[in-house]
Amino acid sequence: MTAVPPSLRSPQKPNRQRRPVVLLRPVPGQSVVHGLWAGTKLMVVAGIGVLLTFYPGWIPIGLVAALVFATAWLARVPWGALPSVPYWLWILVFLGGVMTVFAGGAPHLTLGGVTIGFGQVLNYLRITSLAIVLLGLSALVSWTTNVADVAPAVAKLGRPLKALRIPVDDWAVSLALALRAFPMLIDEFRVLFAARRLRPRDPAVTRRERRHRWGAELIDLLTAAITVALRRADEMGDAITARGGAGQLSALPSRPKWADAVALAIVLAICGLSLYVELATSLATSA
Amino acid sequence: MAALCAAIAVIAVAVPLAAGISLLGTVPMGLLAYRNRLRVVVAATIAGGVIAFLVAGMGGFMTVVDCAYIGGLTGIVKRRGRGAPTAFAAALVAGTVFGAVGVAALLLFSRLRTLIFETITANAEGMATVLGFVPAFERFGQMLRDVTATMLQYWPLLILATSIWSITFVTMVGWWALSRVLARLSGVPDVHKLDFVDDARPVAPVPAAFRDVRFRYPGARHDAVGPVTLTVERGEHLAITGANGSGKTTLMLLLSGREPTTGTLERPGAVGLGRFGGTAVVMQHPESQVLGTRVVDDVVWGLPPGVTVDVDRLLREVGLDRLGDRDTGGLSGGELQRLAVAAALAREPALLIADEVTSMVDQLGRDGLVDVLSGLTKHHDVSLVHITHYNDEADSADRIVNLTGNADNVEMVTTAPAPSATAAPVHHAGEPMLELRGVSHEYSRGTPWASTVLRDIDFVVHEGDGLLIHGLNGSGKSTLAWIMAGLLAPTAGSCLLDGKPMSEQVGAIAISFQAARLQLMRGRVDLEIASAAGFDYHNHRRVEHALATVGLDPALGLRRIDQLSGGQMRRVVLAGLLARSPRAIILDEPLAGLDVASRRGLLTLLEDLRRNTGLTVIVISHDFLGLEELCPRILHLHDGALAPVTTTAGGAS
Repeated sequence: MTAVPPSLRSPQKPNRQRRPVVLLRPVPGQSVVHGLWAGTKLMVVAGIGVLLTFYPGWIPIGLVAALVFATAWLARVPWGALPSVPYWLWILVFLGGVMTVFAGGAPHLTLGGVTIGFGQVLNYLRITSLAIVLLGLSALVSWTTNVADVAPAVAKLGRPLKALRIPVDDWAVSLALALRAFPMLIDEFRVLFAARRLRPRDPAVTRRERRHRWGAELIDLLTAAITVALRRADEMGDAITARGGAGQLSALPSRPKWADAVALAIVLAICGLSLYVELATSLATSA
Repeated sequence: MAALCAAIAVIAVAVPLAAGISLLGTVPMGLLAYRNRLRVVVAATIAGGVIAFLVAGMGGFMTVVDCAYIGGLTGIVKRRGRGAPTAFAAALVAGTVFGAVGVAALLLFSRLRTLIFETITANAEGMATVLGFVPAFERFGQMLRDVTATMLQYWPLLILATSIWSITFVTMVGWWALSRVLARLSGVPDVHKLDFVDDARPVAPVPAAFRDVRFRYPGARHDAVGPVTLTVERGEHLAITGANGSGKTTLMLLLSGREPTTGTLERPGAVGLGRFGGTAVVMQHPESQVLGTRVVDDVVWGLPPGVTVDVDRLLREVGLDRLGDRDTGGLSGGELQRLAVAAALAREPALLIADEVTSMVDQLGRDGLVDVLSGLTKHHDVSLVHITHYNDEADSADRIVNLTGNADNVEMVTTAPAPSATAAPVHHAGEPMLELRGVSHEYSRGTPWASTVLRDIDFVVHEGDGLLIHGLNGSGKSTLAWIMAGLLAPTAGSCLLDGKPMSEQVGAIAISFQAARLQLMRGRVDLEIASAAGFDYHNHRRVEHALATVGLDPALGLRRIDQLSGGQMRRVVLAGLLARSPRAIILDEPLAGLDVASRRGLLTLLEDLRRNTGLTVIVISHDFLGLEELCPRILHLHDGALAPVTTTAGGAS
């Protein structure tokens, strides 16, 4: 819904070449993936998260990576949707890789008389790609899901919990309202930060003074932000009262369709194959 | 609140450099736990967690859960009235529990644990090898190796200790921040107005007969309204006019169920707020009225489960057909308010109260909204009570009631108008100051969401100019204001002040935002002005002088920011900005949300400033009303481009 403006990301001069992080806004257009029920997507991400936590082997990671790329292709997500990665992160990742090269490890490779052990590098690559694959998977959810569909899906997914007297409907309502308020609050924070930038900095000499000022400024910002949020909450509360309380969330009933069954079947197949490989074959790499 | 917490989590994820701020994600949660019961915190955690998950994956979710865990703890300790030692003890226990859970999880995920530990060992090993190349550092390499090995050997202890330490640390930081914030928040007025009324009678709000009704807020010294004697008849269109403080809003509250202090208010049945055939209310702030994220969802939002309404017909009636699938975030103020009317009509109310619905809406939106409202009583069996401070809007009503209350504008000393005969020299032909050359701006450039908001803007602002940049919602005028203030660097073209890019001289040109409250950071007026202007607040003379410049009583200096009215807040912002003697001042919608008297006062003040001090004034607005004197020069912004005709109105000045 909202792009984090450059002023939020860095107080200095905004860099024109950077692609900003765009939050909670699906990639424009329609596709099979856009059409899936939001609940399916949430279940898939949760299921794959559990799989990779228990069996972080090369084959599960590879299969999920394939799933991510296939989904991105189906959903026609362009490369431009990815935010720019800050350069220091690249450097950090690279340095980490270099360090592990020196640690050596089991599979050895001899290149022109020099033997290099690649075992630890592979481990390092495995954990890095695990993190990237998981991030990509959840990014795909927000790139292809209209936020309006999320709260009803959560309500429907959580329905079995009602038997345990868990107030799932209340959660869904607060989620829906939070999603509605999110872009407004981001806008207000944007103005707040801009207002802070406009102010003169009084020169603080000692470190103690600087720390003191930093603390005071933080409290000021926090108080202003909370006051704004409270006012917004009061007004929205009035609007809710005027409508006679909470009830329906969505005018368009959404429920899983055939496409969802197919998607779930594919993901189950991936999970099954991964489990088989990791538990019963010699290709297992996660143990 | 959940959104607030999520937003903080988002900021923490988006700004890795400012990771420190995520420590304060606990504060909103703490506040929530301080004010409400645990289940509210749980609901907020779920909502915030899902949002953070959508934005930043599992890491975001965990951040919110952590914030809620620690924040909830501090909030509950605070609510019980205990001090820092209790918070400290609770944090120790909480840290132990959290650490134990962490250890259990890692025991369970044995394969992931092995992988992580191997990678850590490998990194240490690699680093040690590299250090080993330099003879002097060899010892450190071996030390690193040993320490890592020892730590990983006793990992459960390590995790437990880290967890206890970090949770205690974050708790104490959160405790400190929460205490300070709560001390500051104690003066925040509760602006919520409506309450549910328990009434077992069948719903029938009209006809409502007021007889000598007076209402006084608890603790107030004057009646907010009254005595009022009037009857809201069935099916009539009644307009209620009056200045701010005349009790219009109080009348709305009475109609929606508050008990009058004296007098009688009779209706045949219950008020039935939001019920079928009951009372529906649409209020001032367009964005807060709309609760759904998608247009169609908003119409049914809050209806009892199982009830179906003809959404298309309702949207057609308010002129929003074909917009059903749009995001409500992209609607203009006028469209949002019409949507709120549609949602009200979905309940087929017998009484619809529109309370100042047009005051935050541009002229085009206002016309559309008034059209919709005035057609209602013809097509529905509904009584419409339209509360407004615009006289022309009241004309379409069957009946107009003018409330004359005691306006609470006592502290507002309007400066005496300068005698026109001694008018200062005309500043029109001043030196060029701010130059915009080929300015274009595109948000989210290079992504699929890219949107161009400004195209090839060229103009020059001269010293002493009075310029109005006029445009409707979405014309890009606010972006233009941000660029002129240097807060945004345009994606193409340049915005130069004295030949240097404006974005390198933030603060040289002052800007007052539409939401004045966001620009007021300190708790008290004098502190605020001193901080905004950059002088010591002990310097009373300068504070008084700054207040006098904007026509405020110096006694106001000791007042808390949250006790100010909207018009006063705007003046305090101006006082702080003007005290820095800026080269020019940009005012973004300076008149929005002000009543007629406050508008006139503010305009007179700005006109005087421009005339007497030669201040360059740039106003960004969707309104022309009364601005001719202040801004003789007008630029029209349409869809991000300057309209070809540049009118020069009121060249008399």
